[in-house]
Amino acid sequence: MGDWAQLAQSVILGLIFSYLLAKLISIVVTFKEDNLSLTRHHDPEPELNLKPEVDSRGRIESSTGEADSVIAEQGSSRGDSVGGDSEEEVEEEEDDDDWEGVESTELDEAFSAATLFVTTAASDRLSQKVPSDVQQQLYGLYKIATEGPCTAPQPSALKITARAKWQAWQKLGAMPPEEAMEKYIEIVTQLYPTWLDGGVKAGSGSKDEAVSNTGGTMGPVFSSLVYEEESQNELKIDAIHEFAREGEVENLLKSIESGIQVNARDSEGRTPLHWAIDRGHLEIAKLLVDKKADVNAKDNEGQTPLHYAVVCDREAIAEFLVKQKANTASKDDDGNSPLDLCESDWPWLRDSAKQTD
Amino acid sequence: MGDENSNPGSLEEKADQVTEVTPFAGDDASLESIVRRFQDSMSVEKTHKFWETQPVGQFKDIGDTSLPEGPIEAATPLSEVKQEPYNLPAAYEWTTCDMKSDEVCSEVYNLLKNNYVEDDENMFRFNYSKEFLSWALRPPGYYQSWHIGVRAKVSKKLVAFISGVPARIRVRDDVVKMAEINFLCVHKKLRSKRLAPVMIKEVTRRVHLENIWQAAYTAGVVLPTPVSTCQYWHRTLNPKKLIDVGFSRLGARMTMSRTIKLYKLPDVPVTPGFRKMEPCDVPAVTRLLRNYLSQFVVATDFDENDVEHWLLPREDVVDSYLVESPETHDVTDFCSFYTLPSTILGNPNYSTLKAAYSYYNVATKTTFLQLMNDALIVAKQKGFDVFNALDVMHNESFLKELKFGPGDGQLHYYLYNYRLRSAVKPSELGLVLL
Repeated sequence: MGDWAQLAQSVILGLIFSYLLAKLISIVVTFKEDNLSLTRHHDPEPELNLKPEVDSRGRIESSTGEADSVIAEQGSSRGDSVGGDSEEEVEEEEDDDDWEGVESTELDEAFSAATLFVTTAASDRLSQKVPSDVQQQLYGLYKIATEGPCTAPQPSALKITARAKWQAWQKLGAMPPEEAMEKYIEIVTQLYPTWLDGGVKAGSGSKDEAVSNTGGTMGPVFSSLVYEEESQNELKIDAIHEFAREGEVENLLKSIESGIQVNARDSEGRTPLHWAIDRGHLEIAKLLVDKKADVNAKDNEGQTPLHYAVVCDREAIAEFLVKQKANTASKDDDGNSPLDLCESDWPWLRDSAKQTD
Repeated sequence: MGDENSNPGSLEEKADQVTEVTPFAGDDASLESIVRRFQDSMSVEKTHKFWETQPVGQFKDIGDTSLPEGPIEAATPLSEVKQEPYNLPAAYEWTTCDMKSDEVCSEVYNLLKNNYVEDDENMFRFNYSKEFLSWALRPPGYYQSWHIGVRAKVSKKLVAFISGVPARIRVRDDVVKMAEINFLCVHKKLRSKRLAPVMIKEVTRRVHLENIWQAAYTAGVVLPTPVSTCQYWHRTLNPKKLIDVGFSRLGARMTMSRTIKLYKLPDVPVTPGFRKMEPCDVPAVTRLLRNYLSQFVVATDFDENDVEHWLLPREDVVDSYLVESPETHDVTDFCSFYTLPSTILGNPNYSTLKAAYSYYNVATKTTFLQLMNDALIVAKQKGFDVFNALDVMHNESFLKELKFGPGDGQLHYYLYNYRLRSAVKPSELGLVLL
């Protein structure tokens, strides 16, 4: 009897010892694995559009059961951002069927933001605060969402963590990726209800939007001219010139009615008619001529409104001025007439020049 | 979120917050601090996390002169390079794009035309022509396997693209075989699918398979760590159109008439002997160019085959002119530019912005100013709206005098798996990526 008890005791002790040994080995192994898998599974990305975009909010709110109108709004604003090119829109609408199941939805984007949140700020906290079964659940949902059903072989029983993760993935079976994404976002939102608050604000900087729109990391840059205010320009200009320049009909009329000279000069000797023509306002030009503006007024460089119309290649205005008896042969201080400066083929300009000869 | 976070745009503020948060980390992992760290990290740290795992110059090493220049990681045996492509999300598959095929070339063209780089305000989008793509992707010794597409499995539609082409780039005294990585583009509808990282990894893998371990690329954003940071400059050729389409602005106190006069150019080039480059000029141009480029710290290394490909004129792709001395018939000067139009988005009057981009220029007898002025004149003759140039090589010496204005775009140059002790000035860079 005593022998039997002793035997049983030593067997049990042996079992416990070998279990502990196995556990120790598995801890060592999985510790290494975990470190590897952390970098593997949460593969950081070189993409620059990493901030949750404004779009993400729509989806998050929908997943927490809020207004659908936000989504609609987002949808339309997305459309706008691409919508500059109406041809492209039409073209794309035609083959929208092709995008079935391929197109990235708002859900994709919220999911991206959520995974990003988990992998960045929350990764170390998760391990402290979040029960391991929830962590595994997140892992499983992540794998379903990104890779689909589990096809990987079952890890050895010694790799406890790896096996738990595998099981978390495996047990979700053939769950659709969309559902996995929604659940993932739900869990993250439960754990950190405010995780996206303010993130939207932070993500709406114009630079980031641009990056997300261009979607680019590498590659060329589209640059355009930086506007530089002309510093040495000491132009003095009256309100009436500004109204003519900006095409403000009513203000212009009021000025003239209040007794301002229709041929008032700015410090460069330009009349309101010069300014209207420079900016291409045919209606304003007609109105000014109607109000007895001088069609042959010269600025300080000897240029008439017709010079301006010709230099700025404004055909309708030039033709109008010629009809109003503007002088096509009037020389500016460089000795050039409007005809000399004309690079376009405007037969009526030549004809009228011949007539005046 | 406290008041402290009222200014999320400021970098200093962010730095402060990060240090502020850390002391609390131990006792109270408060939501606020997590959320704040998340938002902070989104902008700066996270973006670079990928690059911190890559063999590129790291920010933390800036100023550390003890690190050797040259490859960061040694080449590994080819047998150790991953043999299978990286996994794509289930709905997609890899495709190798045969750019010799007109059909495939059109697919790549259309993908880029509708989805490639735009300006910050989404007013313009690059519209590289088919002929351009065919030229840019098939230089001497190119690898078709580096022209990588991603298709949707069901529709077979091309939804993403990335490419590399081989190049020899000299860094100080060493000529290194590199891949120039370019044309990374993911369809607008798939931007959140996170395809770009795997595409970068895949092109890297395929470059490694050819036993090439370095690469050069550019980006509009700062990543670890720029070899050089260059600035775009723009010379207006067609002021009225540039103003109408919003590429430039007409100041309220400036007249269109005077602006047009300001940018007026002579009708024909002024330098005697200025003419288009011809095939027989390849040896002379190569000599001129090699000699010129030898003075830069980082520069492309062109032989005659490269010059023949990259610089012989191609209609609507690349233009090259040279000065042949009327007396000695020596080729003394050379200039070139490539054609890169952009789609103008949502303008009722214009649909295309025609831009010339300065490529490689060498002046030995003619002044650089006059040579480049002649380049502007021929660009104007050919109907370009604007002539763009980076401040690389000696370009700075003509930019202001020839009435180039500064652009809002900076272009950062990067090397993959090659460390430089410190960044070089744009004027020490003899490399233009398309």
